[in-house]
Amino acid sequence: MTNTSTLIAARPADRGPPAWTRWLDLGDRALAVVLLAPAAILLALIIVYPVLRLGYTSFFSLSLTSGLPGEFVGLENYSLMLEDPVFWETTWNTVLITLITVPGALLAGLALALLANLPFGVQWPVRLSLLIPWALPLSFAGLIFAWFFHSEYGVVNDVLNRMGFEGIIWFNSPNWAFAAICLTIIWKTSSFMALIILAGLQTIPRSLYEAADVDGAGRIRQFFEITLPLLKPSIVVALIFRTITALQTFDIPYMMTGGGPGTSTATLAMYIHQNTVSFLDLGYGSALAVVMFALSMCVTAVYLRAIRTKE
Amino acid sequence: MSAVANPGFSSLLSGRPLRFIAGGALIVNGMFPALWILFTSLKTEAELTAKPITWVPHAPTLSNYMQAFSDQPLHIFLFNSFMVALLSTGLTLLVSVLAAYALARLNLRYRGLILSLIIAVSTFPLVTLLVPLFEIMRTLNLLNTWVALVLPYTVLSLPVCTLMLVSFFEGIPRDLENAAMIDGCTRMGALFKVVVPLCAPGVFTAGILAFVNAWDEFLLALSFNSNPTLRTLPVGIQLYQGEFAFPWPVISAALVVGIVPVAVLIVIFQERVVSGLTAGGIKG
Repeated sequence: MTNTSTLIAARPADRGPPAWTRWLDLGDRALAVVLLAPAAILLALIIVYPVLRLGYTSFFSLSLTSGLPGEFVGLENYSLMLEDPVFWETTWNTVLITLITVPGALLAGLALALLANLPFGVQWPVRLSLLIPWALPLSFAGLIFAWFFHSEYGVVNDVLNRMGFEGIIWFNSPNWAFAAICLTIIWKTSSFMALIILAGLQTIPRSLYEAADVDGAGRIRQFFEITLPLLKPSIVVALIFRTITALQTFDIPYMMTGGGPGTSTATLAMYIHQNTVSFLDLGYGSALAVVMFALSMCVTAVYLRAIRTKE
Repeated sequence: MSAVANPGFSSLLSGRPLRFIAGGALIVNGMFPALWILFTSLKTEAELTAKPITWVPHAPTLSNYMQAFSDQPLHIFLFNSFMVALLSTGLTLLVSVLAAYALARLNLRYRGLILSLIIAVSTFPLVTLLVPLFEIMRTLNLLNTWVALVLPYTVLSLPVCTLMLVSFFEGIPRDLENAAMIDGCTRMGALFKVVVPLCAPGVFTAGILAFVNAWDEFLLALSFNSNPTLRTLPVGIQLYQGEFAFPWPVISAALVVGIVPVAVLIVIFQERVVSGLTAGGIKG
């Protein structure tokens, strides 16, 4: 870049840029600072300061309804939390949703990707079918599937009836409601998984399969010994992102059940939201958020390590 | 999506009828929920509660759409969603173009560290910041404003867009920029007159992702903007549920209205969106 700088310095003044832009002609280091500053300021305001504030507030008893200034209570919010059955229930629900829907979305996504990788003459309907579920807002998906699982007029029970089964009153029983939520999340997230896996599938050289054909390896064996190992990097990245978003599950259960019956399908994110926005109990809400933060940082650590080993 | 066959599975299912079934399964999986909501939105209340339920509406009606706009200020929800999504997309693009240019072109000493940080931020659970962001917005008197959503949404899309643009910028030959600078452009001039136009597809794809992210967000919108005139679409749509009644055809109509803008974007720019999504792992 030094060559260009001298060139710019040497050019006749009348060919130069308008004077008001000249202050932008900085050295590399100064320019870097200017270019990265807006991003850094935004991240500082929306992530770094709030994270520090989060940790700080979690040591205070701070309820906006009382109108009192916050009082330092040390670890009291955390000890309250350990004795709070709703905290344990919502955390367990969140972990369970993660454990069910992440592998579920992976398997469904793998199946969709393998189907979409067939040599179709026309590509756009297939591509669109994978994009629409991704683009549909989570909250919309929650409402749409609540209607699907409607006990009287829902299409799911209609299909069950036509197949000779009794319809299920999905949202009256904790287990069925939980199942309906998990199915919805898997449907919503598997398409994105499929797009990532499909992109991976299309980078696998055809010659590998031809060589395996020559060696007499069957299709199933080719799948497990060529396709799956070569897909691993793209699957790992998709899985980690999916895990982190699963830990934050809010929209779909909020729209489908509102956490009910009781709190049997409420997630940690819903409990944080309730404590913060409905009860205005910011201290306790912060302590809950610290737990979710810790859970998700563990996953991020695994992710960064996975990326580093890939490089 | 190339048409190149992957013999691993395709020859197992290469017959025409099987391909037909596979395509059908994909399309039903992807389109059925949206299609079902469209059908529901065209049904009358009477048809909806008929047993056994009908699939395709017998006597399609648009009255649910009229009611969706008259029961709640749907046009205001749409306007808020549009403005918040457009503003945050614009801000995301501006900030990430600048940052990506620095990362792609300047020989930064901490480039690796900064990139790792950006990746770490991209996995950041924004939900956990609900409390402090709520406090900050409250202190700054920003609750019930577009800004309260625009700033967090920008941060939500910033890492992904920056990483994407870095890889696009790296694909543009430096000679073009140098030539522009010899012709009297400043470095910033070269960025906005040469690099950005050449990367237009990439910038555009990043913009679509940012727009969809903002259009979809629910939790922060629900928590920060409860004022009826500032609700975004996902928040407003819940208001159709009465205390006892759940007017599904009207809700469906409102959902269709909310799906159409994003669906149009996706239909027109599908190839770009797919390439953008798969360029790096992105939240889904």
